[in-house]
Amino acid sequence: MAEPILKVNAVSKCFGGLTAVDDVSFQVHPGEIVGLIGPNGAGKTTLFNVISGYYAPTRGTVQFRGADIGGKPPYHLAGVGIGRTFQVVKPFAGLTVLENVVIASFLRHPRRADAERHAWQVLETTGLADRANISAAGLTLAGRKRLEIGKALALEPSFLLLDEVVAGLNPTEADKTVELILKLKSEGLTILIVEHIMRVIMNISDRLVVLNFGKKIAEGVPGEVSRDPQVIQAYLGEAPA
Amino acid sequence: MKALNSRGMQAMVLLGAALLALPAVVHDTFVLRVLTEAIMWVGLAIAFDVIAGYTGYLNFGHGAFFGIGAYAIAILMMQGNLPFFLALPAGGLAAGVVAFIAGIPTLRLKGAYFAIATWALSRAIQQLALTMDMTGGPDGMRLTAFLNPQFFYYLMLITVGLTFIVLWYLLERAPFGLKLKAIREDEEGAKALGLNPTKLKMQAFILSAVPTGLLGGIYAYWITFIDPSSTLGDLVSDQAVVMVVFGGMGTLFGPAIGALLIFAFKTIFWAYLSDFQLLYIIILGALIAVSVIFIPNGLWGTLVRKKHDEVRPEHEIVAVAAPEEGS
Repeated sequence: MAEPILKVNAVSKCFGGLTAVDDVSFQVHPGEIVGLIGPNGAGKTTLFNVISGYYAPTRGTVQFRGADIGGKPPYHLAGVGIGRTFQVVKPFAGLTVLENVVIASFLRHPRRADAERHAWQVLETTGLADRANISAAGLTLAGRKRLEIGKALALEPSFLLLDEVVAGLNPTEADKTVELILKLKSEGLTILIVEHIMRVIMNISDRLVVLNFGKKIAEGVPGEVSRDPQVIQAYLGEAPA
Repeated sequence: MKALNSRGMQAMVLLGAALLALPAVVHDTFVLRVLTEAIMWVGLAIAFDVIAGYTGYLNFGHGAFFGIGAYAIAILMMQGNLPFFLALPAGGLAAGVVAFIAGIPTLRLKGAYFAIATWALSRAIQQLALTMDMTGGPDGMRLTAFLNPQFFYYLMLITVGLTFIVLWYLLERAPFGLKLKAIREDEEGAKALGLNPTKLKMQAFILSAVPTGLLGGIYAYWITFIDPSSTLGDLVSDQAVVMVVFGGMGTLFGPAIGALLIFAFKTIFWAYLSDFQLLYIIILGALIAVSVIFIPNGLWGTLVRKKHDEVRPEHEIVAVAAPEEGS
């Protein structure tokens, strides 16, 4: 197998006395979709924030394409090819949908006209072109989640971190987003995705990493992981004696 | 994107030409003097808008940059015997350097905390000017008088005109303005898109300070007397805040219009009601409260948004009727 694009080596992240991520290691290979799952509070978003540069790891290292990126700021990581979305969406509410995406496009297209052209392409891909000139505050939740993906894509990343981009959507909207994620994979993008909706995560992930109380409790293909007794226990609780 | 259409451009060129030709028609020194100061306030307001309106950092110490420019030029001319035009760039430079040093701690703060910190810093700078020998303490400084109203009218006009053009290009044409707005809207989110907020905020702060320092320098040479309360007092900052908030933050045109209206009001007020200066401050305070509550986008922002809203419904219908169709 090709050299992993992302290596998470024994990463821990502590907030005071709380260990939110505890000694987690896993790898992501080029072209893969890896799902990161676990009950609420398992440390998924914290781990995302470590990988995308929002937190420095307390211990352990994160390597991207062989380079150590642990503790590097997010804007540096965007430059080396890591795009991310936020679970709590962060649209630039006072700006138009187009402007939102143009700002992300500046990373690879420093001239405004080029950035705008590129942003229009991204809006076509993400199905937001018809709403390009409305203010981002006027989008529905589905639209805002799309915009999150659009902004991350406008960075032209090689590795995409998706944090709950399907949760909260109705089934039709969810299917559209899944379709988009699979299309991105077919274009060669590597994706690490956090998602609560099992129907989605089981279908699109090549492999799963399961966290519980900050620790990795399982890793493997979806079929295996869903039969793992530890995983079942984490989600459903102790089996009755 | 807010591009100026060709009619807007023509209007701007006409306005510029009219302002350049004005001293040929207006010979009244008082009128020329009022116009010169009006232009100066337009410059102060648009420079303030860079950090407050575009970047979202309400700087309540903007007046400090004005005072620093004024004092830098007074000191260089009176104690360094430099000619005015050599001293003037130093005024802008001094304000820029202070912005850089002050920005390192203060730009980490947000919202009201930044406003308080910059206000406190400007008070500290005023105290410095009051106690130092170099600045003449509370007595202030007197500059060699150069009594030529036309000269100062043109110098102010050219400085503010160039400032407007440079800011308009950087903020409305170049990527810089949109990047600043991204910082204003969501600093954490902007980081993920490859923007370095620390660097951008610093650039904006310096870009706001340099023209302000230049204007302070011109003011000092024009008025020939400066002291800590006239150039480093609260009033310069407070008026800039009211002008920009009333006119419309983050629009350049709004602050320019706000500056003209507030300055006209101030001139009339002081001409007829100069015994009630306290009342002026109260009205200023009431005006900022009223405009924040009733026209949060300012005069210009409200007008532009009105136009925007008239075009908007059709988009909204599309968004409602066909949520994800055609995607």
